[in-house]
Amino acid sequence: MGPLVSYDHISADTNLLLAFIIGIGFGFVLESSGFSSSRKLAGVFYGYDTVVLKVFFTAAITAMLGLLFFSLFGWIDLDMVYVNPTYLYSAIGGGVIMGIGFIMGGYCPGTSFCGASIGKIDAFVFIGGLFLGVLIFAEGYPLWEEFFKAKFLGDPKISSALGLSDGIFAFGVILVALGMFWVGEWAEKKFPQPEY
Amino acid sequence: MVKKEQTSKTAGYINPYLGGVLLGLVLLAAFFVSGRGLGASGAIKSTIVATVDAVAPAHTEKTKFYQEEAASHGEKPMKSWLVFEMMGVIVGGFLSGALAGRLKLKVEHSPKITSRRRLAFALAGGILFGFGSQLGRGCTSGSALTGMGVMSMGGFITMAAIFGTAFAMAYFFRKNWI
Amino acid sequence: MNPRLLLALFIVPLGLIIAAVPQDTTHPYKLDASQMLIEATASSQFLSPDAVADMLVQKDPNLQLIDVRTPDEFLKFSLPGAINIPLPDLLSEEFKDILDQDIKMNVLYSNGTLHANEAWMIATQLGYKNNYVLQGGLNFWAETIMNPTSPSSTSPDEELAKYDFRKGASMALGGGVADSPVAAGAEGNVPAKPIVKKAAKKKVQGGC
Repeated sequence: MGPLVSYDHISADTNLLLAFIIGIGFGFVLESSGFSSSRKLAGVFYGYDTVVLKVFFTAAITAMLGLLFFSLFGWIDLDMVYVNPTYLYSAIGGGVIMGIGFIMGGYCPGTSFCGASIGKIDAFVFIGGLFLGVLIFAEGYPLWEEFFKAKFLGDPKISSALGLSDGIFAFGVILVALGMFWVGEWAEKKFPQPEY
Repeated sequence: MVKKEQTSKTAGYINPYLGGVLLGLVLLAAFFVSGRGLGASGAIKSTIVATVDAVAPAHTEKTKFYQEEAASHGEKPMKSWLVFEMMGVIVGGFLSGALAGRLKLKVEHSPKITSRRRLAFALAGGILFGFGSQLGRGCTSGSALTGMGVMSMGGFITMAAIFGTAFAMAYFFRKNWI
Repeated sequence: MNPRLLLALFIVPLGLIIAAVPQDTTHPYKLDASQMLIEATASSQFLSPDAVADMLVQKDPNLQLIDVRTPDEFLKFSLPGAINIPLPDLLSEEFKDILDQDIKMNVLYSNGTLHANEAWMIATQLGYKNNYVLQGGLNFWAETIMNPTSPSSTSPDEELAKYDFRKGASMALGGGVADSPVAAGAEGNVPAKPIVKKAAKKKVQGGC
């Protein structure tokens, strides 16, 4: 039963090796979907290219369904899977800052490494910015520590917060995602941009 | 000219829905193996912690952030899951780019702006993203995508905040992209 | 075919299936067979009658005695403060809070050890903690606590002290029951000390 490392089926070092292999898969899929191009990424915000929307939400619902089916078959113990904790203020505040960074820089951290791996100089500069940003956060930590740790809500699942079963919530997300894909494809026709 | 550009759009990249399913399976594999999802900014944090500790050990001794990091993530920041995963990302991205013939050193920007402007915005965006990813406890991969996969409330909130803000600000930066 | 519709064709039925099946019902067991074997062979679930009697006399608030026999048997005789969870109703929703908690110390008992042990096995496989079994069951209880046999005068002091304690406990707990169950053979007189094991699995550290 998974997660393999939690049940001692694999050692910590094997876990790191598998991390490297999973990373290769991650990078390969990101690059071949076009996530190494900042103009393709930023396209979602102007409607001319919604590949981000499609890949991101298809991946989220695939993983969500996969986890629920794995749990159903007894292949994975969901209690052992890390659920990100919720600190309400910093989740929103961090998200807003990342959103501005996204529209200015055109990358997010994962995709910038992808872009850099195929030689995008703007991606290298973006990565340099990332390091600076993290360093600023680390050095000025006492200034925003209070905000960072405010409004801790534990690690709730959104499904249980809404009083729904995981399955019904997942089905809802699937329907919303398919609706957004439809809007995205409509937008691509409505706001075309020449290829670059 | 236009015709040729149209074909190049679909030739190089795989279908986004197929890409999404594959990415979802990679994420699922990460859950199955290690009980945690994918991430990117965590690897940068580990690198920063390790670098600062190597350059100025006295500084890390008395700075709270590094102390909290050492307490929660152990003494060897570079021997972390996300660092190895991100090394894989670089290899994977390179392999995919090489197979599709996309390896090329260039600054990618809209024809309406200069390279210098593009790089300045990339740097500013990187700084903001780096800062925000620490504040939000994870970036688009670690918090938003992984968080959505496990239905974390924080993940959904961060996802909505990132994309919502970017949409809201898109108008002000439109010259950079369209 | 439109890739979006193709995706929908696969993912919508899967979503419907996952929405329709009840959550977490197909894999209720938290411990796999080998972990269970370790738990079972360690015999750390057994508490001696003396230990239980001592807690009863002390009125230890952590003790929760659970009678897994039938309600009829429970009405005829039960240990002080015990509650009745008949074995067939073990998985009933109303008893889940009692069995699955980590504050009290649940001591399961039946006439012998068989039924209590069955209940303990299931509860442990479900991942419930703090469940123990009264060693020897009520039969052994009757033999040792209710009607202790006086040791011969040549016995070591230890034996005499034990006898005194048992007599005292028997008195305090209202001993000498008329229809006490048939005494079974003395099985395992050695009081097994409960060892609370740490779970082998560990939750991973996250963080991006």
